[in-house]
Amino acid sequence: MLDAHAVEIALQSLRRYPLRTALALVGMAIGVAAVLVTVAIGTGAQSAIRNQLRAAGLNIIQVKAGNYRTKGDGGGGVLAPHAFLLWLDGWLAPTAHAHPENDPMEKHDHPTAADRLGDSKAGLGGAATLTQADADAIEALPGVANVAPGVHENIRAYAGERRWFTRLHGTDVDLPLIRRAHGIAHGRFFSQRELRRTEQVAVLGSVVRDKLFGEGADPVGETLTLWNQAFRIVGVTESTNWMTPGTVGDDAFDAVYVPFTTIHRLLNVTNLNTITVTTESAGEVSNIAKAISKLLRVRHAIPDTAPEDFTVTTQASEVLAKGLHPNVARVLIGNLPNLDRATLQELSMTLERAARTMKALLAAIAAVSLVVGGIGITNIMLLSVTERTREIGLRMSVGARARDVGAQFFAEALTLALTGGLLGIVLGVLVSWALESSLGWAMELSLGGIALGFAVATVIGLLSGVFPARRASALDPIQALRYE
Amino acid sequence: MIRTEELTKTYALGEVSVEALRGISLEIEAGELVAVVGASGSGKSTLMHILGCLDRPTSGKYFLSGKDVSELSSDEQARIRNQQIGFVFQSFNLLPRTPAVENVELPLLYNAEQLTRSERRDRALAALDSVGLSERAAHHPSQLSGGQQQRVAIARSLMNDPSLLLADEPTGNLDTKTSIDIMTTLHALNEKRGLTIIIITHERVIAEYASRIIELSDGLITEDRPIEAATAPLAGV
Ligand SMILES: Nc1ncnc2c1ncn2[C@@H]1O[C@H](COP(=O)(O)OP(=O)(O)O)[C@@H](O)[C@H]1O
Ligand SMILES: [Mg+2]
Repeated sequence: MLDAHAVEIALQSLRRYPLRTALALVGMAIGVAAVLVTVAIGTGAQSAIRNQLRAAGLNIIQVKAGNYRTKGDGGGGVLAPHAFLLWLDGWLAPTAHAHPENDPMEKHDHPTAADRLGDSKAGLGGAATLTQADADAIEALPGVANVAPGVHENIRAYAGERRWFTRLHGTDVDLPLIRRAHGIAHGRFFSQRELRRTEQVAVLGSVVRDKLFGEGADPVGETLTLWNQAFRIVGVTESTNWMTPGTVGDDAFDAVYVPFTTIHRLLNVTNLNTITVTTESAGEVSNIAKAISKLLRVRHAIPDTAPEDFTVTTQASEVLAKGLHPNVARVLIGNLPNLDRATLQELSMTLERAARTMKALLAAIAAVSLVVGGIGITNIMLLSVTERTREIGLRMSVGARARDVGAQFFAEALTLALTGGLLGIVLGVLVSWALESSLGWAMELSLGGIALGFAVATVIGLLSGVFPARRASALDPIQALRYE
Repeated sequence: MIRTEELTKTYALGEVSVEALRGISLEIEAGELVAVVGASGSGKSTLMHILGCLDRPTSGKYFLSGKDVSELSSDEQARIRNQQIGFVFQSFNLLPRTPAVENVELPLLYNAEQLTRSERRDRALAALDSVGLSERAAHHPSQLSGGQQQRVAIARSLMNDPSLLLADEPTGNLDTKTSIDIMTTLHALNEKRGLTIIIITHERVIAEYASRIIELSDGLITEDRPIEAATAPLAGV
């Protein structure tokens, strides 16, 4: 029905009526732009809510080696299972490493990290029952967004004459994604390549930077000494949340970050102290935490009756248990398994539901304006069938067949809709930017929204073209020619 | 070239029906210049529409170049209008806001084998040149005089080299002097190209250009006679 020729004729006709063409285009463009902008507002609001929940840490699950319910931290130290588990772990997954020093209290028949590095404290961080394989298995669970393995040590950090006692976190490149409130003040986070090559690079928390190099200094490129080893400083991380600036003694910014692989190499260990997990949505935290417990029990071959050799905590349970004696916390969380779900999780789900509803509502309003745009085109095309009846008669008298005339009107409508759609996309993007920069609304333009707007424009073009095209091609040449 | 047998055309208007043609049988040879005259409402335009394949008779037969065209499909009729017939109307029927040259190109847009844009343009400019309007190719109809507009329409009707030209009161909207120009042009086309031309008019003076006059009255032929001196009788006016 449509060929290049019909389109050429249609374009000629559209040029002949610039005002009408412009009006139809504006109507269509506004419809498509409205869809784009409202979807952008809806999506933006949804992700703003998600980001806030994430920044609050509601979607973070911490897996720690050891079990504070049965040992350590002043708890009822009944069982110290790490030696057995290390053996078990080695038995389950024999590693290529000879004499790893995963348990610093073991006697070793080779020089230990403390001997080799000349730092008597090196490698005394503690036993670790988690492995990289555990982290990989967790990453494969559905609903899991990011997984960062962690190795943690207390350490004395030196820069020239200055020194500072702080925390050393060996972690993955994903950490900045997980800890939303971490900004990079100078330089960058370490890279995948540096992680793979176990390079001695370090990112300083802002507190460590202040203590070793002075408030606000940029130490990128300087050298940091840990365990008598030189580390190149590649970046500084600081809090982006003014409510929680870095303070002395906090775990996040009074800290040094290095690739966990580098610690593994230097200390000759293979295991992890923690695995930090984020979920796609905050609403899934409890379920995924349970799934992780189940997975690790299987992986660590722990019988149903035996206690776990790891601890899974969610931010919600941590909030609830904060400041409580571990035994009390255990009782509290153990006896109120649904407490976090009933409060924080419920809140997050309610917020997400509200955002979804708002998005749907906005999209419906936008769809209405698109339909109005489409009706505008139909209307204008129908009007022009009447107005241009003599033109149709003339075209028929010089040899146009009914289908040629139909194709022309169809092509005119489709051209209007598609051009209007493209203009609408441009307009929508501009308006979104304008709203974002002037009102500070969270707008999220998605390719999906753009594609949707254009697809709807095409469909409307097709639909709004069919009726007038039928009308035009059904005209009798004589009646059309005589039309006054 | 043209032969009709007992053509009738009846328009049904609710209860009443109008018999516009009541049995027209005629024959027109190739190369004739025929004037069809008659009072208003006598059926001239109705006849022309049927001869131009724009309309079908209620009954009767119409042979164009030996072929019965009264029973053809509307697509086939469109093709005949495109290839064999040229129309010139009283009201010019040019597309508004469209340059003369694009108006002239119009029939070429509907040719079975499509021409390129530049081929169309070249042929349209040549046709405009042949009616003395090459200077006005870019002018819109509103920028042209009535006579010039009718020349553009004539150029348009000639685009596909038709064998039959049908003109329905081509000078009806023009003053006498311009009418003479237009008739001279049509006469020349008939003489030089041997184009068969049927002109509808109710002005006797215009009919004098023809080699034959057919008079209609109430849907019937009342007179059909040749004219001897077919040379510009109005030249001295
Ligand atoms: N579409 C139509 N519907 C009804 N009556 C028509 C139609 N076209 C023409 N007629 C009638 O047919 C008769 C012949 O008209 P027409 O051929 O236009 O005459 P002419 O061209 O000689 O003035 C007139 O009475 C006219 O009213
Ligand atoms: Mg008439």
